[in-house]
Amino acid sequence: MAAPNPAVVTPDPLEPFPLLEGKHTDRTINDSLLDHVWRGAGKGWWALFGCALSALGLLVIAISWTLYKGIGVWGNNIPVGWAFGIINFVWWIGIGHAGTLISAILLLFQQKWRTSINRFAEAMTLFAVICALLFPLLHTGRPWFAAYWLMPYPSVQRIWPQFKSPLTWDVFAVSTYFTISLLFWYLGLVPDLAALRDSSKSKTKRLVYGIFAMGWRGSGRHWAEYKWSYLLLAGLSTPLVLSVHTIVSFDFAVSVLPGWHTTIFPPYFVAGAVFSGFAMVMTWMLPAREFLGLKHVVTMKHLENMAKVMLVTGMMVTYGYVMEHFIAWYSGSPYEYSEFFRVRQHGPMSLIYWLMIFCNCVVPQLFWSKRARTNLLVLWFASILINVGMWCERFTIVITSLHRDFIPSKWENYSPTWVDFSLFIGTIGLFSTLFLLFLKFVPAVAVTEIKELRHELAHDPTEPVGETH
Amino acid sequence: MSDAHDDSGFVARRFVVAEFATPSGLLDGTTRVREAGYKELDTHTPIPLHGLEKALGLGRPKIPAIVLGGAIAGAVIAYAMIYFCNVIDFPINVAGRPIHAPPANIPITFELAVLLAGTSSFFGFFTLAKLPQPYHPVFESEAFTRAAIDGYFLSVEIPAGSDAEKALADVRAAGAASAELVTESER
Repeated sequence: MAAPNPAVVTPDPLEPFPLLEGKHTDRTINDSLLDHVWRGAGKGWWALFGCALSALGLLVIAISWTLYKGIGVWGNNIPVGWAFGIINFVWWIGIGHAGTLISAILLLFQQKWRTSINRFAEAMTLFAVICALLFPLLHTGRPWFAAYWLMPYPSVQRIWPQFKSPLTWDVFAVSTYFTISLLFWYLGLVPDLAALRDSSKSKTKRLVYGIFAMGWRGSGRHWAEYKWSYLLLAGLSTPLVLSVHTIVSFDFAVSVLPGWHTTIFPPYFVAGAVFSGFAMVMTWMLPAREFLGLKHVVTMKHLENMAKVMLVTGMMVTYGYVMEHFIAWYSGSPYEYSEFFRVRQHGPMSLIYWLMIFCNCVVPQLFWSKRARTNLLVLWFASILINVGMWCERFTIVITSLHRDFIPSKWENYSPTWVDFSLFIGTIGLFSTLFLLFLKFVPAVAVTEIKELRHELAHDPTEPVGETH
Repeated sequence: MSDAHDDSGFVARRFVVAEFATPSGLLDGTTRVREAGYKELDTHTPIPLHGLEKALGLGRPKIPAIVLGGAIAGAVIAYAMIYFCNVIDFPINVAGRPIHAPPANIPITFELAVLLAGTSSFFGFFTLAKLPQPYHPVFESEAFTRAAIDGYFLSVEIPAGSDAEKALADVRAAGAASAELVTESER
């Protein structure tokens, strides 16, 4: 080896990418991670916010029209009684699951790399669940009358929800999921809000962040209970996230329809949810780390790890597809066989089926290559394709099974209306609006946890970090 | 800085607020001040430190028991609710299926157990911590704004009637980089 030049260090292939890049103190971490909150919104933010608001406007129009005319303005009609409403519901819920997985399950497994992306992913969970909740609510047609069969309250009609129905389980599962995600997110945010309060320059900002920080003073007596409260919420979220998507899959799996009536649905739905959720985190994280100055905390190692999770969950989803087809053949049921090998592959919706196979089974195979895992453009486009693929999966499951069931006289094609598309695009607008506001007003990275990580890494000689305190 | 008495009977609490240079210095200092006989101690740090509970002489955390209680309450309430609705209040025989079907009750029982456990963890913490609490005398210290950012602080409440200067000296002797007296202001 020639004369070693300390300024140009060849990366050692055995040396892992650092979790924190550069030398840091608590103060520099604090200032660099809060910087994007104090900085005024740039042109890029306003441009994106404008687009998001326009899409949100579309949502308002679509919801108003749906409520005014009734759900007849949607494209679904018997036999395709469930369509965009349920596709988008499952898709959004799935996207939310990555947030809980990152914040809760990886916390329990003590994966240090989660710290840089958990706050971001948790916010995504919240907003995705809000979007998801809209669809079943609107699908009831008149949500203000739907309360009595959704929630058990003693109405004058003296009837109760059908507790043996997965749809009622869904109501409990999704509302619990939203509540717990919100509490978990806020609890984690409180110390960061105090940091925001104490580093704010103007009195108004200090007051506003001060209100949300609830007078947090970093008390040791508080931390002692706080740690347990946070850990237990994480512990509770872990079975919760598995149960939510399991119950969502029960909506399909407990019916007798060919293509739905399978026992593999719960694990395969959960894997798909994590798959699409990580893809969505990736889609937003790549531009966010670029523009918000988060590259020192969201390093290549984080991106690589996320790509690896997508590869693994993509393979699980692929296994799910293979098993569905195998069982359809092995069962000997002509309806199942026809559903999987004729209708899906060669029927009128076959394009969506093949797009699903391409995006969910072929695209993640890119991530076997380290070059692909560390190439930002490849990561970004692959993550978008995976999101498209997962939407196609839900479309395939919902529509193709419904539009061709047992009796040919019941067969009918499906086409969505402008209201369906507007609602879907509108929820993307709602999600983006909320997310952009989050990026503007709240630190995108869990500042306190990064400080904690720095202290931990300082004791761990295998991880390169900056100077210790 | 004597006890501030006025007509309303308000007695201002006095605190020593001290900053330590390092987290380990704070832990040592806290232990020493506690062993010197001070009871109302608290640390203020941007991150939870390992060994804080020991330095402050805290007992077992209460949250786990509260959460367990919440989980059990949630499960019991959920199952009782379903049982009441389906078996007692309005039993419906659908094609001879059992009126009381335990497997079908599992999901909602589980979800409500998680919901009540989670909410009791969250609200239990805020209740135990007595938050939100907009004002606390330690906020009187100018340096204290760093407690949420990069400062490691110890606060000691001075018992009413005892010497503030002695407390200040004791905290300084425990290794504080700087220490000051703050007095609660009346609102």
